[in-house]
Amino acid sequence: MSTAAPTKEKDIPMPSRLTDAGAGIPVSRLVSLELRKLTDTRAGRVLVLVVAALVIAIGLIGVFSGKPSEDKDLTDFLSLASLPLQMVLPLLGVLAVTSEWSQRTGLVTFTLEPRRSRVAYAKWSAALVLGIAGVALALISSVAFTALAGALRGGEQSWSLGWQVLLGVVVGQLLYMSIGVAFGMLIQNTPGAIVAFLILPTLWSILGSFSWSESVAKWADTNRTLSPLYDGSMQGDDWPKLFVSLLIWLALPMSVGIWRMTHSEVKSA
Amino acid sequence: MTGRHGTVGVMIEVENLTRRYGAYAAVDDVSFSVRPGTVTGFLGPNGAGKSTCMRMICGLTPPTSGVATVLGKPYAALGNPGRQVGVLLDASAQHNGRTGREILTLGAIMMGLDRRRVDEMLELVGLTRTESRRRLRNYSLGMRQRLGIAHALLGDPRVLILDEPANGLDPAGIRWMRSLLRGFADEGGTVLLSSHLLHEIEVVADDLVVIGRGKIVASGSKAELMSAAGTTVRSDDDARLATALEVGGFQATPVNGGGIHTDAAPRAVGQLALQQQVVLTELREAGSAGLEEMFLQLTASDAREGVAA
Repeated sequence: MSTAAPTKEKDIPMPSRLTDAGAGIPVSRLVSLELRKLTDTRAGRVLVLVVAALVIAIGLIGVFSGKPSEDKDLTDFLSLASLPLQMVLPLLGVLAVTSEWSQRTGLVTFTLEPRRSRVAYAKWSAALVLGIAGVALALISSVAFTALAGALRGGEQSWSLGWQVLLGVVVGQLLYMSIGVAFGMLIQNTPGAIVAFLILPTLWSILGSFSWSESVAKWADTNRTLSPLYDGSMQGDDWPKLFVSLLIWLALPMSVGIWRMTHSEVKSA
Repeated sequence: MTGRHGTVGVMIEVENLTRRYGAYAAVDDVSFSVRPGTVTGFLGPNGAGKSTCMRMICGLTPPTSGVATVLGKPYAALGNPGRQVGVLLDASAQHNGRTGREILTLGAIMMGLDRRRVDEMLELVGLTRTESRRRLRNYSLGMRQRLGIAHALLGDPRVLILDEPANGLDPAGIRWMRSLLRGFADEGGTVLLSSHLLHEIEVVADDLVVIGRGKIVASGSKAELMSAAGTTVRSDDDARLATALEVGGFQATPVNGGGIHTDAAPRAVGQLALQQQVVLTELREAGSAGLEEMFLQLTASDAREGVAA
């Protein structure tokens, strides 16, 4: 035992049993693992299906509502498809983080990769990859629905898609995904983080409709500050407004959240 | 000691480890080390600080003070720890919605292992193909423990750290696990195994570390602790022999069902009996029964039963 054991020899290097046992886990492997973990549970699959179903449903509504030549352009369908992506897809980013605590899998994850910040960045990256996939889905479906609207409803369709709009949709989606991940890391609890992600910005928008808080909302309501990004109409003080709102809703929760994730105690009960 | 990996020294070293929660010290200045090629039993009643100590060894709980190293390094400095240290801290701490196979597959991906390893481990712990495709929420505690042991062994580690792995296993399962761990240690592997039941681990353990109320109360090889556990003696006149033992400076406590338990060595008891001309009917080292008695005494202040009484 402690008295008998020759402690001075503990520094002798030990041959590894498997060739790369001593080398760290590559980040790329962590990212693909996190992507798999996003979709290998029922909750994850259901969320992905809900997003796909909503994109299709909302597209169909777009096709059949209104006048034949009103709001039937490619950009119209793209912005319709972006709505469920903004609301529902980031919940997967939330789940990616909170399930480690709610389902207590962190006990295993963080013993297999004790450098927890790498796990945090891998989860963030996986959520971003999923966000890109979501935008791709939205693009494909909006092309399909524009064509469908042309075939079924007639009217004049515009197929033009400005690079500002496309870039705005991609960047906006990545930002929403990031905010989801940040809320997950900050709150660490599935229902809490989901409610916070869905309710807080809406609450903010409601507050912003009152005149006294109007000027605050212009700078702090991500729903408002992100909308010129999606329209491809960013100009003037839209940029500082976007920056300030992201400082509040993304940078702050993300930094506190990563600190929490790397410093808090991982317990089983 | 030289194991199959040609390694020398200490596999797990815990030095003055302390963890406080406010004023309460869950683990209080704990030091011990685990030699290669041995099974070390980490023994203590519920709430004694075993799990907190093991979480600190694995870097999950930051210690208030003190250091723990595995294979000579802090746990967090092991590059791909799953390939060097197999850990099972809580068999139920897995996603309820994943199948057993998926849980092992995720582990294999993370450690960079061949997927065939998953089937090998499932077979090793006796989970069938059908069972492996069921979701964890449908697993009994015993099946979860088997899956957890499979997960710990996945990376072919040199060290195993297992917290109460026998919990929920049936007697046959406990026997299976003992022989698995014995074989692992005999091949040069190192096992740190916690339990709150002495009889669960005394068969398989080489060394024992006994913890109570956050502090180490005894540690050493099982043989040392066994011989320190005293002697059991029966005679025609127990009362007279007991008096003689006490006069000789030994403790003597009557045992339920007759006989005396004493801290004197068997030879000393024999000599006293000869002097006192008392006929001995039984004389032996108390061994595991004595160890059990000692374990209960050492940890009595922490035992919930003791508080109730």
